[in-house]
Amino acid sequence: MTPTPLRAHALGDSAVTIVFGDERSAQLLRRVHSAARSLEAAKIPHVEDVVPAYLALTVFYDPLHASYEEISATLMAACDRATHSSAKAAQSREHRIPVRYNGMDLEAVATSTGLSVEDVIARHSGRTYTVDLLGFVPGFAYLSELDASLQLPRRAQPRPRIAAGSVAIAAAQTAVYPLDTPGGWHIIGSTQTVMFDPTRDAPALLAPGDTVRFERVA
Amino acid sequence: MITITRAPPYLTVQNGGRKHSRSFGVPRGGAMDLFAIRAINAIVGNSLDAAALEWALGGGAVRFDRDCLFAIGGATARATLSGKIVAPCTTTHAQAGEEFTVEQITSGRFLYLACDGGIDVPVLLGSRSTYLPGRFGGYEGRMLRSGDSVALGAPPATHPAEGFHSAADLMPRYDSEIVHVTAGTQEDLFDESAWRTLTESDYRISTASDRTGYKLEGPALGNSLGTLPSEAGCPGAIQIPGDGLPIALMADAPTVGGYAKIAVVSEADLPILAQRRPGESIRFQLITIEQSQRALKRRQSDIHTISQLASRSSPDWSAEPRT
Repeated sequence: MTPTPLRAHALGDSAVTIVFGDERSAQLLRRVHSAARSLEAAKIPHVEDVVPAYLALTVFYDPLHASYEEISATLMAACDRATHSSAKAAQSREHRIPVRYNGMDLEAVATSTGLSVEDVIARHSGRTYTVDLLGFVPGFAYLSELDASLQLPRRAQPRPRIAAGSVAIAAAQTAVYPLDTPGGWHIIGSTQTVMFDPTRDAPALLAPGDTVRFERVA
Repeated sequence: MITITRAPPYLTVQNGGRKHSRSFGVPRGGAMDLFAIRAINAIVGNSLDAAALEWALGGGAVRFDRDCLFAIGGATARATLSGKIVAPCTTTHAQAGEEFTVEQITSGRFLYLACDGGIDVPVLLGSRSTYLPGRFGGYEGRMLRSGDSVALGAPPATHPAEGFHSAADLMPRYDSEIVHVTAGTQEDLFDESAWRTLTESDYRISTASDRTGYKLEGPALGNSLGTLPSEAGCPGAIQIPGDGLPIALMADAPTVGGYAKIAVVSEADLPILAQRRPGESIRFQLITIEQSQRALKRRQSDIHTISQLASRSSPDWSAEPRT
């Protein structure tokens, strides 16, 4: 299948969003992640940041030294090359995150899904997730794809404070809250793993395209 | 050091923000009015990215614990140093022990106080800015409270003259009713009438406005698009949520979001929007990316002009080239 041609849109005077397609899919996401990694590696002058997402990646640049026309042409060409180059193995990492399944919503999730608590734990810890994107708060990684039987809408009332390290699920995704924040996901467990630390060189533990397995600990 | 003797309701350490951590989900953050903070850094002879105090929501007082050349700018305030009026965008010399007081912020929203040498807090992810939602950066990741002391960096070797003042025509027109925007990443999802509404109506800043975003009140944009697959946003992006009322993302907005972005405020005009208070109005005017980048370059060149004038005002400035 021929990939959709790339499209560039200005996001203000200091960023450009490059759209790879119009329908979410695991394949499209891999193309976006792989192009984002190539752009990072290419160290294109005046580029500040590359932020991949579901259908597009956004490049922030220094508008005092690069015009939109120049930089978008450079980036489109680079993304095109990345897309057409024979898929070189993406440098994604595999993570294992130990989880105590003791979350305040664990019982409620079991009730809502009609599963036993043991089943909820087995189905959550029994698969490998991929990091779709980072956002919401620093280091918050949206992980897909949650077992279909565990998929519940977000809580109607978000909680004002979810503790850092809380392992949660909502719709088709799961995540670990990296910081104490408000949140509307169902909390099923907790981890000691530090997901975000601004004093580290790579402050976020997870990067787009990485894979994660949750391991049950007592 | 500067000691907070009577903390205002909002006081944080800020600078130009974080430009290389968005991929980790860390917003740019930094000063809400990036022009003002750079301008007053230029006025006191600092590097433009030095950290300063961002002050809002009311009066308060701080004490200088060393002799210090300082300036205030951004919002307009009734402010004094040991009882004497402090003029905006003007270098003022404070002796160790003197107290700087803001009685009231009279117009605008964010006041900046820069001291020679800058505020010396640890650099995290390339910046000294406070990111309150993440509780990191600045001073212990939080607002400053009465009794806190923040360190100052070593003052630069040469100082602008005391009383050096930056000309008003080098500053943005904060009273401008017009805020320029460029078309957003989802521009074509909005029809003609949505565009007319956005650019021909007055929008009022809602009380639901903070460093994360400014909710705008005015006519709703007809065709709401619900939520789209998340993608990156930026400060100044104008997104349209379900109720059709625009939200302008500001410095601390999350790096990604799922609402359609109809337009993005020109970086050059973002300070004008940032300084608007709840209840005040603005009107959006569409320009091209090229015009927006030119406007930003003019602002940058104005700041360089201020820097040069400040350095030439120095008593030990000489026209001779320096070695």
